[in-house]
Amino acid sequence: MKAIVARHRSGARPRWHLFLWAPLAISAALLILPQASFVWMSFHKNLGMGLVSDTLVLDNYLRILSDPFYLGSLWLTFRLSLEATVFALILGFPAAYCLARARSSWVSLLVVLLLISSFVTIVIKVLGLSLVLGQEGVVNQFLQAVGIVSEPLRLLNNSSGVVIGLVQYTLPFLVMLLFGVVQTIPVSLEEAAELHGASRASTIRRVIVPLALPGLIAGGLMTFNLNMGAFTSAVLLGGGKVLTLPVLIQRKIFLDVDYPLAACLATVLVVLVFLFNVASVLLLRWNMRSQRPS
Amino acid sequence: MSPLARFRRQWFFWLITAALYFFLLGPIFAIALASLEGKQTYHFQFPPEALSLAWYGKIPHKYVHALGVSVAVASITACLSTLIGGMAAIGLVRGGLRRSDTLQAFFNVPLQVPLVVTGVVFLQFYNQFAILTGIDFLGSLLGLVIVHVFITIPYSIGTIGSVLMRVNPRLEEAARTLGGSEWSIFRRVLLPVVKPGIFAGLFYGFIVSFGDVPTAVFIASGEFVTLPVEIFQTLQFDFDPAVLALSTIVVILSVILILFMQKVVGLDLVLPSGKR
Repeated sequence: MKAIVARHRSGARPRWHLFLWAPLAISAALLILPQASFVWMSFHKNLGMGLVSDTLVLDNYLRILSDPFYLGSLWLTFRLSLEATVFALILGFPAAYCLARARSSWVSLLVVLLLISSFVTIVIKVLGLSLVLGQEGVVNQFLQAVGIVSEPLRLLNNSSGVVIGLVQYTLPFLVMLLFGVVQTIPVSLEEAAELHGASRASTIRRVIVPLALPGLIAGGLMTFNLNMGAFTSAVLLGGGKVLTLPVLIQRKIFLDVDYPLAACLATVLVVLVFLFNVASVLLLRWNMRSQRPS
Repeated sequence: MSPLARFRRQWFFWLITAALYFFLLGPIFAIALASLEGKQTYHFQFPPEALSLAWYGKIPHKYVHALGVSVAVASITACLSTLIGGMAAIGLVRGGLRRSDTLQAFFNVPLQVPLVVTGVVFLQFYNQFAILTGIDFLGSLLGLVIVHVFITIPYSIGTIGSVLMRVNPRLEEAARTLGGSEWSIFRRVLLPVVKPGIFAGLFYGFIVSFGDVPTAVFIASGEFVTLPVEIFQTLQFDFDPAVLALSTIVVILSVILILFMQKVVGLDLVLPSGKR
């Protein structure tokens, strides 16, 4: 017994941190080596046939930041991502609220369904959307039968198709995140507001939404990031006509074999997403500070 | 308040919830229904005109092969990233390092980079690597596995880390006081308690790798094309009704896997949280 205690005291603690070094080396190698050679590539000139120049140039960046075509693509990516994020929040928050507040055994089934929707590969979901959204698809048939529209809506191969695809892609993740957020808001606060005569609408507006705001912003940010980088739905539902940044990157690689420009576009995309994140974190902090009573 | 009264006050929210489920699951059901349409040409008809399983017998061999490639890549990826992520999680949570938050953020970087970018980055890296060393990862199984391990490590760190954080470290201390060696503490105390996290990590690794298009589309070619990429190419350039039957099979397999995981490790570990 004495020996054991002595060993315990003499600092024979398992050195668990030693486990860290191998993964750290692997992650660092997989992150830094490719990314560095990639950013390096973006400063080279395309010589055609997949060859690149030996000299460093800023041409690619200047071209992207001055050509209206690339600026338009940047703006389109931003606009569609924002639209899809807003739609996802409008649909996702009420649903997350219902799921979090319902006290029924059905809830876990509904959550599992969300999980299934989020884990079925995106190509299959896009295939399903293209089946139902076509000119003669069930959605248009339904809308015409009910009399909402007289002519079939064009919901594929344009930007509305892309937005629908983006919402489909991000919604399950967003709802699962907001589900956790709503669960942290005590029901008693809502009941207190209603006991004091607040209507349902004003309870939502003045109690629930403010309390969920940090979660809504975090969820919106995650959704926006996913949208900015969304590739599969943008390519397939845009039908090659909606040229967001991820679609352009693919075209530069496969059609034009212009690796440096693709590298440059990709770098711009990563930097934009990163800047947007930093900006919104700062905004959130500033907002919380200004709300705090001094 | 009775459940019915509560429901009546929130009917509008429930309406949105119903619409959301319809929107999320409707297209998947549409695929399953359309795959049963015997006279399938190009469009989806509802209700089906002639029910038949004919398309299930006509799935071209390249898709079956691609399914095999996908399963192989996803299985290897799941094992490797769970091993690497599990080691990292033990180091981060139990290592007692002061900078573990920063390290955790570093491990999560792959989640911040859009997947298309990761795909292009590795495409160019493999190209340059091939020029420098003569070893070409493009179009190989290993090339796909490396990229997928890169993008799935954060998931296994997340699942195994969150299990470790819930386990009281006193458990290991007790084992040590009772004279357990480092190896036996690891094998007989730590490993059993993190088992659910390991399963969840394997599940995430498999399902993320299996569903990936944006990175694999740049890396996979020739003999080693994964199933989602094969379907992606089909949808981009032409259409084959057999894809509907194939997709239905993949959906059914995914559902079985998800239900199995939910039974084994429970819902809260399988749910992706915002932290990961």
